[in-house]
Amino acid sequence: MKNNVSRRSVLAKIGAAVAGLLATPVAKAAKTVTQKVLVAADAPKGYDPTQHKWVMAIDANRCIGCGFCAEACKKENHVPEGPYFRTWVERYIITKPKPGSGAARGETLVDSPNGGINGYPEAPVPKDEIQHSFFVPKLCNLCHHSPCVQVCPVGASFDAPDGTVLVDPSYCIGCGFCIQACPYGCRFLSPVTKTAEKCTLCYHRITRGLKPACVEVCPTQARIFGDLKNPAPDDPIQQFYQNNLVTALKPHLGTEPRVFYAGIDKEVR
Amino acid sequence: MRRLFNMPPQVFRIFLLAIGIVAAYSVARYFLTPPSFGEYGWYRGAALAELATRDRVYAGKKACEECHGDEYEKLVKHEHKSLACESCHGPGEVHSGDPRKDNIEKSSFAVCLRCHEANPSRPKWHKQIVAKNHYTGSKCTECHVPHSPSEVP
Repeated sequence: MKNNVSRRSVLAKIGAAVAGLLATPVAKAAKTVTQKVLVAADAPKGYDPTQHKWVMAIDANRCIGCGFCAEACKKENHVPEGPYFRTWVERYIITKPKPGSGAARGETLVDSPNGGINGYPEAPVPKDEIQHSFFVPKLCNLCHHSPCVQVCPVGASFDAPDGTVLVDPSYCIGCGFCIQACPYGCRFLSPVTKTAEKCTLCYHRITRGLKPACVEVCPTQARIFGDLKNPAPDDPIQQFYQNNLVTALKPHLGTEPRVFYAGIDKEVR
Repeated sequence: MRRLFNMPPQVFRIFLLAIGIVAAYSVARYFLTPPSFGEYGWYRGAALAELATRDRVYAGKKACEECHGDEYEKLVKHEHKSLACESCHGPGEVHSGDPRKDNIEKSSFAVCLRCHEANPSRPKWHKQIVAKNHYTGSKCTECHVPHSPSEVP
């Protein structure tokens, strides 16, 4: 039997086999190195997002329009000066109808100068022409079907398992799609970071067992905050649902907001 | 090989090119996908922990109670029990770490009026005054005790 195997081909085969064996660990090491360069190191753990379901509720009957919440939000989250808000308070004024107009109500006037932080100017209509007037705190509605998350092209906006809707600042490319998609106007493009920003329910506070800053400073408990997965014995959230007939903003859009409101008029958008 | 698939050479080249593109994509994806991507969904799972590591500015009522227990006890017994210390005194995280008189707000009558100035949009149950008819000075504390409003000083 003639031996056809040359020395060269045997060496080549052995070399290929060794390279094949080494390929996997080398690729894995290279991957780790690449990712360390690309992404910052992981933050400390200890909080399990799958074990919570955070939610906020607004009792507009209790809101006195002091603007402490909007101010606290700006300070807590270092929101830039100017018309940028993660939460704000709107004043609604519904006027009486003009006599003989045949209408049930007059105009609806809405304003929120500087988010309500510096108070409100005198009502643009005399007091006796006002049919109803009230304050409505606004924030991210924590939609179950979030339009902002659906349009994000890079996976920077996401619905976290604990019920918050967050933006990954290191992934956001600042395209602004989510800002246009949010039907509640709850997002803005930060002039400082050039990324989309929004209410995070003060994620750095709630993960350490504190309330969001706006809830902390609200003097009348118009803002109610809780964890649906770990209800407290006298949970204010459950009490809110029990004691009030609640509604959500723009229910016709099918976004299914998880922020429920009590005591608002149909004119509130 | 060419005979095996019985391909014309121009098709074979395109076939090779397609395999090359798919392979290059897979390799790039393998190296560039962050480790925590897909941990909870179609996003970087580590972003949650990163967002949670930010420093707070408001310390919370419990931090105030640690040193100011007497004032806290007074506050929770009276009408202002639902107020947080930091509603009127401003953010206190710096103060709680380094308690000094000059790194916390003293609060003033402007803060009282932020809630209690009469406004037709405010709910009727809320106590309101027209400040200029009520009192001409600027020290609400002459007649009212902010931490226990029902008491007389």
